[in-house]
Amino acid sequence: MLADFIESIAKIVFIFSINLGFFAPILGWVERKQSAVMQDRIGANRADIGGFTIMGLFHPIADAVKVLTKEDFIPAGANKFFHTIAPFICLVPAIATFAVVPFGGRYEIFGHQVNLVIADLDVGILYVFALASLATYGVVLAGWSSRSNWSLLGGLRASAQMLSYEVAMGLTIIGIIMVYGSLKLTEIGAAQANFFRWGIFLQPVGFILFLTCAIAENKRVPFDIPEAESELVAGYFTEYSGLKFVMFWMAEFLEIVTISGIVTTLFFGAWHLPFVTDAMLLSFFQFAGPNGAAILAMLVNVATFFAKVSFFIWLQMSIRWTLPRFRYDQIMRLCWKMILPISLINIFVTGLVVLL
Amino acid sequence: MNTMTDRNPTPSFPNVGVPLEKLKPKRVRRRIELTLWEKLYVFEVLRGLYVTSRHFAANMIGFVVPPKGKKRSVFTVYYPEERVTLPPAYRGRPVLVARQDGSEKCVACGLCEKMCPAHAISIVPAERADGDRYPSSYILDMSRCVYCGYCEEVCPKEAIVMSAEYEGLAETDRGNMLYPKEKLLRSEESVKGRIQYIKRIYSKCNY
Repeated sequence: MLADFIESIAKIVFIFSINLGFFAPILGWVERKQSAVMQDRIGANRADIGGFTIMGLFHPIADAVKVLTKEDFIPAGANKFFHTIAPFICLVPAIATFAVVPFGGRYEIFGHQVNLVIADLDVGILYVFALASLATYGVVLAGWSSRSNWSLLGGLRASAQMLSYEVAMGLTIIGIIMVYGSLKLTEIGAAQANFFRWGIFLQPVGFILFLTCAIAENKRVPFDIPEAESELVAGYFTEYSGLKFVMFWMAEFLEIVTISGIVTTLFFGAWHLPFVTDAMLLSFFQFAGPNGAAILAMLVNVATFFAKVSFFIWLQMSIRWTLPRFRYDQIMRLCWKMILPISLINIFVTGLVVLL
Repeated sequence: MNTMTDRNPTPSFPNVGVPLEKLKPKRVRRRIELTLWEKLYVFEVLRGLYVTSRHFAANMIGFVVPPKGKKRSVFTVYYPEERVTLPPAYRGRPVLVARQDGSEKCVACGLCEKMCPAHAISIVPAERADGDRYPSSYILDMSRCVYCGYCEEVCPKEAIVMSAEYEGLAETDRGNMLYPKEKLLRSEESVKGRIQYIKRIYSKCNY
């Protein structure tokens, strides 16, 4: 019982620290620096401590200091309660979604079963979708409670876009569920031990559709009409400042990480290296004894998983700095007239293949 | 006789050089409708990603191995630490050219004062004992100067030239922007390139 408790706490602390302590600040830097490198610029490199800049890695610290000393502003006429609570509603689902994403296999250390996922829910995917739709409330409330035209328009656009893409996103994932016959993310991950059983080979169309929907759900370019800066200043968070403003950004960055984690789990073999199963890892690390081998195999699992996650973060950033913004009607047409029918056809074809 | 109102003026050019038909710009075919391939988005997105990723990869490698012939693949200049080398045609703030002994070349003819479209220059002429004219006061109002370079163009002695200086021109007080003679004087050596340049380009005209 105590061992279970310690295990859970350790996993929660690990995920929190890697998400909030590493990914959230570092992604702000990555976004600047990667866009700069892609556009033949240099990017942020001015913040220094004692003359050292290390490629602008001090900018997240400078940003944090700046943000913490800013005034926390609530506009006159805004609904104070909802205006305050909206960034939290945005941020919490972004963090909480990672609870069901497995970042490693199941191992036995000192006679204790360690499963590298915080909450091994039977309906993991449904939990992900449930939390993703909760984030919509944060956006809509932020837009509505600010009492600003820009915010309201941004919130309206966000609600329409996110509700539409939620429908499509749910359907794109059905194919994967049918193939692996489970809603449990750990089981889906474990089923991809064989390289040729990775989701990308079984469901290539599903992967593209899911990634599209996920980016749209995250409101990033090319689907960023809710915060279209050339039209709506900053969209639904125009009236936010200081820490609350950053919470929206952190929510966006953490959602990138979460989307990458889910894509990795569903389509890219979760924590598995190609052609290497967990049993092979254990036998490879036999020299360290049974417990040491399990720990080393776990580390390899976690490293593999986060390497894949980093790749998909890079991919999403590249997409963000490559494509121009869709128009509102184009977004809606893409969702209802293209992604939805194609995902239905995908489900039909998958069903036929699974049945035969 | 051809007037401006002629609808179809007959071309009276002699048949030399490139034929007129070839001078017409090529018509750009602009397709409004997307093809089916483009409507699929995915492949066009991948094509765009290929372009940006190529730049990304090239620059990431360029950070480690600078490409040949270039210092680096990024051409950003770190301004306060690095400067671009300005061409002689650059028009910075006007300066008065000094002789070897430190006195100004200017003979106070007043042409620049007359020519200046912004009325930025005011000269008080004076005469030395040996009959040479010189400006006893030469004030250039930098809050009015538009950097057109007419003063330099009209000057018969190359005594006022546009230097390459572009820094420290902002002031918080208008009084400080009235530049007296002492603030304007620069040695001939420091503006040599510009003097050569104006000699070359203005000698083409019939002055």
